Amino acid sequence: MTDRDRGTCMAESKRPREPFAPWDRRELPGLFDVEETARRIGHYKWMETKLFEALGGWVATVPELDVKLRLGTHCYHHAFHAELFHKRLPELREMKPERLTVPPNEELVAFVNAMTEPEASGQTIEKLVGVYRVLLPATIAAYTYHRNGTSRITDMPTIRILEMALKDEYEDWCDGEMLIQSMIETPEEVDRAAAHQAKLQKLLLAAGGIAGPGSIGDPYVDVVED
Amino acid sequence: MRKIFPAEELARDSRFIRQSNEARFSDPRGARVGGGSAASTKLTPEQANGPDRARALMHGIFVGEIQALEGAGRTCFDFEVGEDVPFELKLDMARQCWDEARHCEISVALADHMGTELGEYAENTTLYEAACNPDPVLRLTGVNRALEGLAIDVFSTMKEFGNLAGDPVLEFCEDWMLADEVTHVKMGSDWLRSLTAKDPERRSKALEFQRVVDKLFSFSGFRGDDEDSPIKLTRQFRSLAGFTDDEVDDIADLAREAKAEAATA
Repeated sequence: MTDRDRGTCMAESKRPREPFAPWDRRELPGLFDVEETARRIGHYKWMETKLFEALGGWVATVPELDVKLRLGTHCYHHAFHAELFHKRLPELREMKPERLTVPPNEELVAFVNAMTEPEASGQTIEKLVGVYRVLLPATIAAYTYHRNGTSRITDMPTIRILEMALKDEYEDWCDGEMLIQSMIETPEEVDRAAAHQAKLQKLLLAAGGIAGPGSIGDPYVDVVED
Repeated sequence: MRKIFPAEELARDSRFIRQSNEARFSDPRGARVGGGSAASTKLTPEQANGPDRARALMHGIFVGEIQALEGAGRTCFDFEVGEDVPFELKLDMARQCWDEARHCEISVALADHMGTELGEYAENTTLYEAACNPDPVLRLTGVNRALEGLAIDVFSTMKEFGNLAGDPVLEFCEDWMLADEVTHVKMGSDWLRSLTAKDPERRSKALEFQRVVDKLFSFSGFRGDDEDSPIKLTRQFRSLAGFTDDEVDDIADLAREAKAEAATA
C-alpha cells in the first residue's frame, strides 16, 4: 500500500454516516412514559405470580400424568416471567417492586379467584380452560400491544423481556390447547369447557384485561359532538 | 383451591397403587427386593437380585419425583409472598417444579428402559407428607435437605450401578438428575440459614424435623455411611449442597441407630 492509498483510506473512514442506518426504522417516542410502563409491569408481575402459584398448586390435584408434568413445567415459565418483571421495576425508578406488584382492580382479583377455584380431580378441563383459553390469550394480547407500542429505543429492555415471555406464552398456549382438545371427548364436555370459559371471560372483561382497562389500547376514534 | 392439600387426596390415574407405611415396612416382598433384610448389601448388578432391586428402586424414584413435583408446587401456592415467604423462595420452588417434572420424564423413561411398568410397585406418600408442613422453613428443611439429600444418595448409587452394569444411558441420566438435586439441597440449606438467621428456636425446630425425616428415610439403615449400605451417603455432593461434615456425620449416626433398632425389633 502506497502513502497515497493509505491517505485515501483514512479519508474514506471519516465520511460521515447517519446514526440510524437506512434500514433502521425505530422511532421516538413510544406510547408509554416511565410511570405507565412501571404500572403495567407491576400488574404483569402480579398476574404471572398468581398464575405460577395456581399451576404449582394444581399439580397435586390432577390425575392425568401428562397434564401434571406440563403444569410443573409451565409453573416455572411464569415464575421466570415474574422474576424478569420484578427485576425491571427498579430500572423504572420503583425501588420497592412490591409496591407496584398489585392487581389493576378488584375485578381482576375476582377473575383470578374464580380461575383458581377448581380443585377436584375431575375438574382438569376447567383448570386448563381457565388458563389456556382465557388467561393466556389475554396475556399474549396485552404483551403484544405493549411490545408494539413502546419505543424500540428508549424501552428496549422491556421489549426484550416481553418477547422472551411471549415466546413461552405462545408455546404454552399451544401445549394447553392440545391438552384440552385431547381431554374433551363428549358433547357434554364441550359444553362444560364453553360454560367455564364464558364465565371467566366475563369476569376478565369486567377487569378490562390483565393490566386493567386499556390493556390492549383503545381502537375507537373520539368523535367530537356537535 | 385449598391451602395445604392432604396426601390422601393426591390425584393419580388407575395404574397407581397406594400403600400405607405400615404395609410397606411389613411387606416381606419389599425386603426380598431390598436384598433380604435391613442388613442388606450394596446394590450391584452382579447380585442375583441386583437388576430387580434396581428396577424397584427406579420405580420408587419415579413416584418420589412425582411427589417432589407436587410438594414444590404446593409450596408455590400454600404461602403468601411477604407474609410467609420471600418472593425469591417461591421462584426457587417454581424452578424446582420444572426440574422435578423433567425428573419424572427421565425416570419414567428409565423405568421403561429397565423393563418396569408404571404401577408394578406400590406408592406410599411419606415424601409428600413432609411437604405438607405448615411452616415453610420446616417444610423446606424436611423436603429439600432431608429428602432431596436422600435423592443425592440414591442417584449416586444408581449412577454407580449404571457404570458397573455397562449402562451408559442410566449413568448419563442419573448424573444429570444428581446435578439438579445438589441445587435443590443447596436451596434448602440457603433458605434455612437465611430465614432463621435471627430465630435460633425456629432453626432448631427445623433441624429436628429434618432429623425425623432423615431417620425415617434411612429405611432402617438401608441408606447409610457404611461400605455395604445399599444406598451410600454421598459426602462430596452433600458438601457442595451446603452440608457441614458434622451434619453428614449426624445423618450417618441416625442411619446406624435406625439399623440397630431394626435389628433388635
